[in-house]
Amino acid sequence: MASTKEKLITHVSKEEATGSTNKVTVVGVGMVGMAAAVSILLKGLTDELALVDVMEDKLKGEAMDLQHGSLFLKTHKIVADKDYSVTANSKVVVVTAGARQQEGESRLNLVQRNVNIFKFIIPNIIKYSPNCILLVVSNPVDILTYVAWKLSGLPRNRVIGSGTNLDSARFRQLMGEKLGIHPSSCHAWVIGEHGDSSVPVWSGVNVAGVSLQSLNPDMGTDKDKEDWKSVHKMVVDSAYEVIKLKGYTSWAIGMSVANLCESILRNLRRCHPVSALVKGMHGVNEEVFLSVPCLLGNSGLTDIVQMTLKSDEEKQLKKSAETLWAVQKELTL
Amino acid sequence: MASVMEKLITPLASGPAEPPRNKVTVVGVGQVGMACAVSILLRELADELALVDVVEDRLKGEMLDLQHGSLFLKTPKIVADKDYSVTANSRIVVVTAGVRQQEGESRLNLVQRNVNIFKHIIPQIVKYSPDCTLIVVSNPVDVLTYVTWKLSGLPKHRVIGSGTNLDSARFRHIMAEKLGIHSSSFNGYILGEHGDSSVAVWSGANVAGVSLQKLNPDIGTDKDSENWKKVHKEVVDSAYEVIKLKGYTNWAIGLSVADLTETLVKNLSRVHPVSTMVKGMYGICDEVYLSLPCVLNSSGVGSVINMTLTDDEIAQLKKSADTLWGIQTDLKDL
Repeated sequence: MASTKEKLITHVSKEEATGSTNKVTVVGVGMVGMAAAVSILLKGLTDELALVDVMEDKLKGEAMDLQHGSLFLKTHKIVADKDYSVTANSKVVVVTAGARQQEGESRLNLVQRNVNIFKFIIPNIIKYSPNCILLVVSNPVDILTYVAWKLSGLPRNRVIGSGTNLDSARFRQLMGEKLGIHPSSCHAWVIGEHGDSSVPVWSGVNVAGVSLQSLNPDMGTDKDKEDWKSVHKMVVDSAYEVIKLKGYTSWAIGMSVANLCESILRNLRRCHPVSALVKGMHGVNEEVFLSVPCLLGNSGLTDIVQMTLKSDEEKQLKKSAETLWAVQKELTL
Repeated sequence: MASVMEKLITPLASGPAEPPRNKVTVVGVGQVGMACAVSILLRELADELALVDVVEDRLKGEMLDLQHGSLFLKTPKIVADKDYSVTANSRIVVVTAGVRQQEGESRLNLVQRNVNIFKHIIPQIVKYSPDCTLIVVSNPVDVLTYVTWKLSGLPKHRVIGSGTNLDSARFRHIMAEKLGIHSSSFNGYILGEHGDSSVAVWSGANVAGVSLQKLNPDIGTDKDSENWKKVHKEVVDSAYEVIKLKGYTNWAIGLSVADLTETLVKNLSRVHPVSTMVKGMYGICDEVYLSLPCVLNSSGVGSVINMTLTDDEIAQLKKSADTLWGIQTDLKDL
């Protein structure tokens, strides 16, 4: 007796359905991981989304909640498991796992806790997706991108840190507020270390190619009557402020991750400030990752745009590099 | 000495800023409210988003977190305040405020707790956005949509409950999985009460117009050897299951609210199963809200589709109506 399905549908294709072509895995289903997952789903970037975590109930609940929204999405396969086999053949793996900053805690304090977690996660990812692109979000992101690179054995173009993509977005939002213009028309690059010592490149701040620093040569200095320097300070303080108010940050970083995934999955070769291996650039001699403008496409971080930096900007990058290296060399990898 | 802004920009249009055309307010910045807000933002439905809540720190934190994502969005103004004046001129107001179901708690138990909250919220919303359409999400949604309608003084077509829009989405997801197709290609409605006594309209379930019930006349009954009835039970149990696993549900309801918002804001006249005032239909004599397939447009519920229901399905709707009315008559200070 034929089932309802058999009566309704006649299978005609002799081919196996091809597997996913644009699979994304998100490791860690905390607030950041889920914000990234939802942003990626709502942008319709992927045909398969995998979630991994160690907390099995929460993981299953989150996957179910997303699956229940499948009518409103264009990602037909949403899977989740503690076992990394569920992540097999991913194009991009977003790593959000790890401990988060507590109120007032600096990112560098999190390090060794998160290194130990990565020693479990990264090899498992590579085992099942040896050709993936790793996008590291967990903090301190520049150090953990280095750690992920070392643990994965992947070439440098396949390991990217979310870096100052978010800091730059925050800067552009504040700049937009000040000028009454949408952030996408306000151009500014915050580079270097994601965190307290990020570097706003004042010379590049512009609207329609008009350099704001050429209109206001004091911009970014303490002499500046309009105190644009405080815009950068607000960017540095943003994360701490949001954490103090709501306990964590999630939406902005989630959207920023989706923005990066879009460039990678759609092979856009857009330029983003993300954390890349910068040894040999801007006077940096150490094997460290810092954010610089990078072209992102389907083979990852393929090119770096060489910014013309002032000597004090380069000094700041060098100083960040030294700080990061001092921490990195103490790590047991 | 001219500022950077004055040197950079020459204003052309003077006068006050235009009011927003597609403003959406979300009341309540808990997990459901924020999921609704993010879905609405990522679907680019609003030109202004306002958030309201009583917990001020959390409210400000959520607003900042969304504002920090402005570069990636097409909603230029995101505001938040405890004071409802921030919600003025909204086209759509999504009400998610209230206490949520605890593990094992049925939706009906939440009622009086949430009515007291609504007595504060609803008049304020209407004061600042007298022409808005209200989408009520808080549970028990059918009762609270009635409460909202009474407290708002708005005509009934402007007050919608998210109702079984989500139940139907879950139903379509599960049925489609079983058939190996996308949920949007499986058509089926769950109507009536959002929750334990919702009604799966098996007669309407179809793919490409092919009625599943014609292929399997036992579908939805206990006699059915394929036990399709179990799918409806899974839908009813879904919320409890997700709550047990992660503590709450938010993504699916958020996406479903954004779907409704899209139809309203874009005046699409799409059909959605949402909670509407059903007195006078299917033999129901009381002023209750239950989910029926409604044609939604920019003025709210434009019309209701007269589904052909079996006697048994109608009896279930009436029974839900009686239960809801029983609760509503006991509510204090409406």
